[in-house]
Amino acid sequence: MANSIMASSKPLIFLSSSSTQPNRIINLPKLAKLPQIPKPISSSSSLSTKALSFSSATVKSLALIAALAPPSMAEAMEKAQLFDFNLTLPIIVVEFLFLMFALDKVYYSPLGNFMDKRDSEIKEKLASVKDTSTEVKALDEQAAAVMRAARAEIAAALNKMKKETQVEVEEQLAEGRKKVEAELQEALASLEKQKEETIKALDSQIAALSEDIVKKVLPS
Amino acid sequence: MNVLSCSINTLIKEGLYEISGVEVGQHFYWQIGGFQVHAQVLITSWVVIAILLGSAALAVRNPQTIPTGGQNFFEFVLEFIRDVSQTQIGEEYGPWVPFIGTLFLFIFVSNWSGALLPWKIIQLPQGELAAPTNDINTTVALALLTSVAYFYAGLSKKGLGYFSKYIQPTPILLPINILEDFTKPLSLSFRLFGNILADELVVVVLVSLVPLVVPIPVMFLGLFTSGIQALIFATLAAAYIGESMEGHH
Repeated sequence: MANSIMASSKPLIFLSSSSTQPNRIINLPKLAKLPQIPKPISSSSSLSTKALSFSSATVKSLALIAALAPPSMAEAMEKAQLFDFNLTLPIIVVEFLFLMFALDKVYYSPLGNFMDKRDSEIKEKLASVKDTSTEVKALDEQAAAVMRAARAEIAAALNKMKKETQVEVEEQLAEGRKKVEAELQEALASLEKQKEETIKALDSQIAALSEDIVKKVLPS
Repeated sequence: MNVLSCSINTLIKEGLYEISGVEVGQHFYWQIGGFQVHAQVLITSWVVIAILLGSAALAVRNPQTIPTGGQNFFEFVLEFIRDVSQTQIGEEYGPWVPFIGTLFLFIFVSNWSGALLPWKIIQLPQGELAAPTNDINTTVALALLTSVAYFYAGLSKKGLGYFSKYIQPTPILLPINILEDFTKPLSLSFRLFGNILADELVVVVLVSLVPLVVPIPVMFLGLFTSGIQALIFATLAAAYIGESMEGHH
């Protein structure tokens, strides 16, 4: 590629433009002879000496190329320029500035603002979630307090129940004891009575018996 | 010169020139008010601008809280651009996001359009449609804009005190510091121009030599380099802006 770029340098263009129609016709007979002069091998061996000196042969061959080259290529080479600054540059500047402002209106600003807003919203939500942790703690404490109160209530009720039942049981016990004692007393009293009765009975019998004994023992 | 002439001679005789269709430095000219413009560059740049604006408008038309598809992609791109700008410019990167982002997107889409879009289908009377960035006018335009941007950044931030940076380490470095203002746009523009042009030329030459399979790896390499070049241009522009804005005291 560098070849064609270099080939587009001024001398070539000058030659190509200077070689008019009649010159070409005159050159054509030479065409048969010329290929023998610039043979690739011989020329490459003597390139170092010939390259800078621009011998007449090279000039001729250049002219030949210019003449031989298809007109489209010659035209193209005349205009072939890599570093061709022109009005394209300021137009591209304007286009770029337009693109920058348009993209800012369409893309950067709206989407950027939207993303920032979303970011701050998410951060706010996160912060609020962190804040509720105290609320959760308070609720937890409340729940614990309720549990404690309930437990205390239950314990109190249980104690009350226990006391009540104990009193009842004691009452019943006392009642039962009283009954038993009364029965015992009664039984003891009846026993006493019977004892006295039997003693009385025995007393009367003793008198009769002792009389009998006396009668039997004492000879009368 | 002899060898050269012979090789061109054989090329012409065998008609290879016509087959390969390698055209370098040939432009399709339009005349606008006595000035010439490279029409192929303008046409492709319009297509690139249309692609960018169209796709962005379509994807960001109705942003959703939970992004999907196109919006997701464009959010990713915007975050990437913001990241690049923030890394290079620093905390005050906000106002520069449009500039850096447009540089990156325009160069990236231009480069890839040269490799991916079938421009060759459209025949021009002369020259051929290719990436807008393989024309020196485009790259120099972008590089000059970068220069203007970093001068503007420095002057608006520090006023005339900005020029004190030219003698900053020692006044001896004044010539080098002044030279830097010329080398910056020069290197920016020539790097991009050379890379894209060389990439397209390598592909074209390889296609002309071996039309099958062989050029494919080079094409992928070209896509890779194109992306890297866009990123390098945008990053360097951001770095220059950041450099002119940062305090020297």
